[in-house]
Amino acid sequence: MIRTGARRAIYVTMVMAHKDLLDFWKAKMLVVSFTLFPIVMMAMFGYMFPSITSTNLYAGKFPSQYGRLPIGIVDEDGSRISEGIADQFAQLSSTTGLFSVRSFASLEVAKDKMTEGKLKGVLVIPRGFSEALSSNRQATLILIADDTNPQLASSIIGQVSSLIRIISEGVAASRISDIAAGADPEALLEPISLEREPFVKGSATTFQFLAPGFMALTVTMGTLSGLAASISREREQGTLDGIMSSPVPRYAVIASKLLAQTARGMLQSFIILAISMLFFGVRVYGNPLLMVLTMFLAVLSFSGIGIIITSIAGEQETAMTSLMLINMPMTFLSNVVFPIEQLPWFLQAIGKSLPLYYSADALRKIIVLNAQMHHIAPDLIVLVLYSLATLSAAIPIFVRSVSR
Amino acid sequence: MGLAIEAFGLTKRFGSFTAVDHVDLSVKEGEIFGLLGPNGAGKSTLVRMLTTLMRPTEGTAKVGGYDIVNQADEVRKIIGLVAEKLILYPRLNAVENLMFFGRLYGMGGEELRRKVDELIEMVRLERFKHFPIGGYSSGMRQRLNVVRALLHDPKILFLDEPTAMLDPQSIRFVRDLIKDLRKGGRTIILTTHIMDEAEELSDRVAIIDHGRILVVDTPEGLKARFGVSNLLEVFLELTGRDLRDRAENRVPIRAIGRV
Repeated sequence: MIRTGARRAIYVTMVMAHKDLLDFWKAKMLVVSFTLFPIVMMAMFGYMFPSITSTNLYAGKFPSQYGRLPIGIVDEDGSRISEGIADQFAQLSSTTGLFSVRSFASLEVAKDKMTEGKLKGVLVIPRGFSEALSSNRQATLILIADDTNPQLASSIIGQVSSLIRIISEGVAASRISDIAAGADPEALLEPISLEREPFVKGSATTFQFLAPGFMALTVTMGTLSGLAASISREREQGTLDGIMSSPVPRYAVIASKLLAQTARGMLQSFIILAISMLFFGVRVYGNPLLMVLTMFLAVLSFSGIGIIITSIAGEQETAMTSLMLINMPMTFLSNVVFPIEQLPWFLQAIGKSLPLYYSADALRKIIVLNAQMHHIAPDLIVLVLYSLATLSAAIPIFVRSVSR
Repeated sequence: MGLAIEAFGLTKRFGSFTAVDHVDLSVKEGEIFGLLGPNGAGKSTLVRMLTTLMRPTEGTAKVGGYDIVNQADEVRKIIGLVAEKLILYPRLNAVENLMFFGRLYGMGGEELRRKVDELIEMVRLERFKHFPIGGYSSGMRQRLNVVRALLHDPKILFLDEPTAMLDPQSIRFVRDLIKDLRKGGRTIILTTHIMDEAEELSDRVAIIDHGRILVVDTPEGLKARFGVSNLLEVFLELTGRDLRDRAENRVPIRAIGRV
């Protein structure tokens, strides 16, 4: 029985999407890689950014991506006071887990170790340090960080400064107690303090920033490249001729590809979410249905571009390479891997013109902030407009490309 | 007997290259019509237009009484296509492949299942029907590919080089199958390079070159007209004996699409 009109279009769309998913399921190696990809990606990023949380960033003063960096300490002063300072530094380093501290007899020996790569920095207590302290002058410590890696050096400088500030505050507090008995040294040292009230429930980890972004990225990129590969492959192997010479509406062909690829993309996204929740403490505070809607719009917003590129490219390799041109910059410009505010204004403008920026933003708000529809409406409107504009251009281009 | 296919001035251009040049064609219902021509002559482009896969630049054609542009969906319901490339998914098995294509034609349930079993039996693949067809031999794949096009019982069947690359046993099997299909009153358009195949199977043949139809007649009529004993001599007489891959005859693939 031949169904008519919309019912038939929906039926054949489902039939073709089912075939695509069955075809995918039969490629066991592909299924394994497809499932492992988000697991490997999240594990990699999860362990890359394990300890930066907004809580310790503000309150604890010890933001670190690196664990127990080897630092040397050289006590040139050799006094009781300098020994005490060196001990305090070693103890603080150990309790905060920032550095593993070793003492060296001379700066030359320590520098040799730095050249060998066995030390990442040296803290020097110079001669005259204790004398300056005793005579109420400012005493200076010298830090030599291994700046062959500027990023690491800058992190060491920041962290050592934090520890020295604590030690210095301790020294100051004891002096204040000596001078003004009964006074609160903390109030005198820091008359105005800042307390932080969390906006995000629980402990907002960097991962809570990354996970929604990666979900949006995976569902978009997975669908985009899956769509291109699937259409090009069918064209190259000849099966598209079989479909196009049957009484199937042209838009149903596109709809079926979208449906199958979206289902695959969403599966990957949920794997990302599950791993984030199980291993990296991400919690979903928002509405799961709103999350699914956002991911669906994320896919739809980019699918038009994918179809246009695939139609123009003609064959698989060209299509995939052309898509890389979009995928790579999109990953870094769309507020997914790091905050877009770090970028110069023109790159920010490009990032904000890409739909991934809006889907990542909406998803992040739903997952972390329990945002409701009215909070994310502007993001969703942009995604809907993008979808309408690109798909209305893509469908005639696709139809023309397969009948040229 | 009516006409299964009528074409009037059918033309397809790719930029400045004319792949099919004002072709007029009539194919009678129930006949096997052979379409012969050297590589790049325009056979596949003509077939692609008649099967609605490509829009003509100029001219019109009716397939089964339906216009190939304005009534493309009606045309698609009554034609079957065995193209140059296999229209089968290598990872799926024979049953899954046939079930999928059957559903595209609105078939389903027990009717489709019965038809699939019947066709698989017809091409003697019952033992292998649950294996992915990627593991089949070329002959097995092509047998399945031919019956795939018969799922919806099309009135007009387009066969583009159905025996290319097959072993002699498979060639014999497919040719016998084509003869059987004609018995049911089906019209068959057969594109081939193999002259004895065209001679054995076709009621009439058209020889096409440089996008134009040079001659249309029965194989016997053509041989008599040119005073030769086989169709190959007629073909070479009309299209020349030189190789077609000389540099001056080659047109970039991008420019000509699938000719």
